[in-house]
Amino acid sequence: MQGLRSLLPILIFTALYAALSLSVTNSYYQLVMTLVPVWAVFGLSWNLLSGYTGLISFGHAAFFGIGAYATALGQIYFGVSPWVLIPIAAMLGGVAGLVIGFPTFRLQGHYFALAMLAYPLAILYVFEWLGFQEVTLPIQRDNPIAYMQFADPRLYTLLALAMMLGTILLTRMIERSRFGMALLAIKQNEAAAEAAGINTLAWKLRAITLSGAIAGAIGGFYAVVLLVVTPQSVFGMLVSAQALTVAMFGGVGTVWGPVIGSVILIPLAETLNAEAGSRFPGIQGVIFGLAIICVILLAPEGLFWKFRDFLRKRSAPRAGMTPRAPDLPLAAAIPALPNSSRPARSQDEGNVVLEVRNLSRSFGGLKAVQNVSFKLRRNEILGIIGPNGAGKTTLFNLMNGFLRPGTGEILLDGRDMSGRKPHELCEAGIGRTFQIMRPFLRMSISDNVVVGAYVRARTDAEARQLAAEAISRVGLSDIADRVASELTTKELRLMELARALAGQPRILLLDETLAGLGHDEANEVVAVIQRLARDGMTIAIIEHTMQAMVRLVDSFLVLDHGAVIVEGEPEAVTRDSRVIEAYLGKKWVAHAPH
Amino acid sequence: MLRIEALTAGYSAIPVLNGVSIKVEQGQFVAIVGPNGAGKTTLFKTISGIVRPSAGAITFEDTDLLSVHPARRAHLGIAHVPEGRQVFPSLTVMENLEMGAMTEAGRRDWKSNIERIFEWLPVLAERRGQFAGTLSGGQQQMLAIGRGLASSPKLLMLDEPSMGLAPAIADFIFERLIDIRRQSNLTILLVEQRVAEALESADHGYVLEAGRVALEGNNQTLRADDRVRKAYLGM
Amino acid sequence: MTQALEGFLQALTAGLLIGAIYGLMCVGLGLIFGVMRVINFAHGDFMMLGMYAAFYLFTALGIQATFGSALGPFVAILLAGPVLAVFGYAIHLALISRVSGTRTSSLEGEGHYAQLILTLGIALILQNGGLLVFGSVLASIRTPLSSSAWELGPLFFDVSVFINKARGIDAVVSLVTMTLLTLLITRSRIGKSLRAAADNPTAATYMGIDVDRAHRVAFALGTGITAIAGGLLATNYPFHPFVGVEYVIVMYAGVVLGGMGSIIGAFWGGMTIGLVQQMSTLVLPTQLQNAAIFVVFLLIIFFRPQGFFGRMVERT
Repeated sequence: MQGLRSLLPILIFTALYAALSLSVTNSYYQLVMTLVPVWAVFGLSWNLLSGYTGLISFGHAAFFGIGAYATALGQIYFGVSPWVLIPIAAMLGGVAGLVIGFPTFRLQGHYFALAMLAYPLAILYVFEWLGFQEVTLPIQRDNPIAYMQFADPRLYTLLALAMMLGTILLTRMIERSRFGMALLAIKQNEAAAEAAGINTLAWKLRAITLSGAIAGAIGGFYAVVLLVVTPQSVFGMLVSAQALTVAMFGGVGTVWGPVIGSVILIPLAETLNAEAGSRFPGIQGVIFGLAIICVILLAPEGLFWKFRDFLRKRSAPRAGMTPRAPDLPLAAAIPALPNSSRPARSQDEGNVVLEVRNLSRSFGGLKAVQNVSFKLRRNEILGIIGPNGAGKTTLFNLMNGFLRPGTGEILLDGRDMSGRKPHELCEAGIGRTFQIMRPFLRMSISDNVVVGAYVRARTDAEARQLAAEAISRVGLSDIADRVASELTTKELRLMELARALAGQPRILLLDETLAGLGHDEANEVVAVIQRLARDGMTIAIIEHTMQAMVRLVDSFLVLDHGAVIVEGEPEAVTRDSRVIEAYLGKKWVAHAPH
Repeated sequence: MLRIEALTAGYSAIPVLNGVSIKVEQGQFVAIVGPNGAGKTTLFKTISGIVRPSAGAITFEDTDLLSVHPARRAHLGIAHVPEGRQVFPSLTVMENLEMGAMTEAGRRDWKSNIERIFEWLPVLAERRGQFAGTLSGGQQQMLAIGRGLASSPKLLMLDEPSMGLAPAIADFIFERLIDIRRQSNLTILLVEQRVAEALESADHGYVLEAGRVALEGNNQTLRADDRVRKAYLGM
Repeated sequence: MTQALEGFLQALTAGLLIGAIYGLMCVGLGLIFGVMRVINFAHGDFMMLGMYAAFYLFTALGIQATFGSALGPFVAILLAGPVLAVFGYAIHLALISRVSGTRTSSLEGEGHYAQLILTLGIALILQNGGLLVFGSVLASIRTPLSSSAWELGPLFFDVSVFINKARGIDAVVSLVTMTLLTLLITRSRIGKSLRAAADNPTAATYMGIDVDRAHRVAFALGTGITAIAGGLLATNYPFHPFVGVEYVIVMYAGVVLGGMGSIIGAFWGGMTIGLVQQMSTLVLPTQLQNAAIFVVFLLIIFFRPQGFFGRMVERT
């Protein structure tokens, strides 16, 4: 029901647009009416890849052009109808997406952008060389409908509108599913997504394949509408730029973006082109160029978000008047437990969940982690400490698969897991949080947490269920609907914790979960972590602030220069002269009052 | 000379400094110690203008430092020797030192400065034509210090000069620093992990903990205070 | 046999001559990328503007009358450099600086995309605006030297190599410009501070270097250098407002080949692309020359993104 209601604005918009298009009689304006949804679909296809994953494609014309040429050439050389050819164009576009995506996703940043820019331009030259400078679709005198040739141009508009509606519905479905969540998680922080059990490469390939298919289909339709295909008009830089511009202008990462962008920009550019194109050739490109520049400088996420944030801000003062639900007094609800009240962890080998053996890794000449060995037993909280640059985070990165160990083993229940991918280790039961949090500020706590649940959940409903459980375990249930941008640092830390919990790990690696928290806030988070351990979780935690740690952990592993210098219970470790030397300098040991 | 009042600063959501006040007098050697994550490096970045504070004031010799463009602050006489050395790897040792001397004072005193720097840190003279990226960690640290000195600073800020260095090399660099200070009478603000060493040579010390000044005093009082150890080790 | 050898030598010569210009073109882009880490999609269009600037300086501003048709073009081309440098300076000040430099140092990945998209917008405006202002008619900077040649040889077996006079002078001008730029970058105070700002912008700020200003200088310099290369190219190749797109991949290929960030590397990268392009005419149809460059470019990106020439500046 909720889903239907949210579709209502889209259905109303489509109906109004259809009604408007039926009343337009001028054939040129009718063409513009058709082109708006065409470019909206192309923008949506761009948005599906770039808007949701954040990997900006500068070469979407590759897919568009392949679709357009496939449709045109198929009709010319094989006499096949566009009704058949457009689905074929979609398939070719999808294949092209897969073929381009597979190697290109290995590239990062600038290289990805440059490679994507190059594909359509390379294909453009090939098509010119093949002699397809200008391909005209033959007019079918008998049975034109079978060849998608309508006497009434309004039918094209309706067809385009139907394709737009289909694409919007598809995007909507994806947005709310595991697929969409995976893409958003990739945009947010690809490494963290991997650590949350998401096979990022697989999802990105699915996204570019689907995106390419949509672009291919709409490219084919474009060829049918315009009847003429030239390399420049379907593979040119302006074509790629138009996909990007309508989507970014309207709003990135929402179905409304490309639609809004297209509704505003396409009529503007086309009309100017028609009115002034003869006197001012190129006016169309100038409009698109200006539109991109304005968007980037004034509203980098597009009109939709700018407008929504504006509305939210206007209503915010009123919301501020109503008292916010008081934060759940965690410390009161869950009294901090003294260590002794937890079931004593057994020393017996059968309870070892994770064992690290002789783990080493160096970067260039620097030995970041050298010959580290330790065991994690069930229910245990192990604190990993050491001065800056001691190799703590590197150790975590080795344990959850971000880095391959140089030598050594990581045994999970006795099986060697070293060298596995992060999402595989997450599936095997190792969850992790990060020092630097990058939550989705516009999304609620529930939506932020559910990303972590998909590694276990088979259905979306199950994922929601797991997320809700995780949120309640950290005590955020009362504010689960609040958006992340309104949360305090403590609540964000707990949310991160919940996200790691949602994947139902057996072992949690916590990277500076207490950083940036005041004394009391840190105590509340400590209480949550203690309760998790009591409920059977095994935890390794990196922390700088020792204050809270000495009360939290069962034992310490002290690293310095990448190697273990001391291991043992808090009492003993904090009195150990090697530890004091690592932290306070050796002169302290010599002079300090004892 | 440098006065920091009620400074609050941080990155996006998380405040790192919370109302920090620190004073450095002309000719003084002030050490700031504290566990990792206490906000020491952020404090330095705020003084240099890389991090913008949300509240508080910084005055340097009667100038409101916060109204000065970050790149102009070096020209006022503040030299920042950053954490992790941050030499210019694709420039030679000599060119790195020249970059230190981009300030008006540094340009003016170039000849005498370079002589003194080579005298204090002879390894830099030996390696003057070498690319800084090919130096060892200890040599890079010396270059970073030399680069700071080349600007003819009034205030030398050193951020963890011993970080990531083998203990013997760290000791050596510390001795050099004390020598330099004795001979030049520079005002020094030092951030250091090696608490005992830092407090021993400093006139005055601050213990920073979770973005606040937890303790302050001269080195005698601080070194006798077990709360310093507690700040680091928790018990 | 002799004919094949002659063809080969002629293609090699043509490759070296055009490579010298491509090298200079790439150096302009490489300088900007090296210092600012910004990929400028509009760089080809800046070059197009350089071509038109040289064209109008030559024909409309009386340089032709003053210096004659043989020497005049080169005077105009060298003047187009500073003109475009000023243009680049202004573009950086008005637009690029808003999404780059110290303002965005905290943004990490997202900042890059804003820069790329902004320069894409600038590219669209320049291409289409160029069409508006200059029209779509092919223009060229004609000099009598373009249609005469020096003959080298006969070298052996009666094989001679012909060097187009205009292209020969182009290559010399290009090499001289490159040498001067190298001296500027390695020896001068400004050049050193540009390199420092490229190596580590934060530390450069600690030295009192205004990093945003350094970026502006680099952007202006890079634009001016590429404008000169464009002008040189225009003595032999007619041009139009969309000519930038044809060369932009040549530039990227050269810069990537040279190891992104290295200026000398960019020159050799451009030189290599020139050679590949001309040698490919021996085996490929002319229309596929550009496609060949694209393929080479993609291969480099995939298999050796660190490039072949020069060191990649370490950045963490």
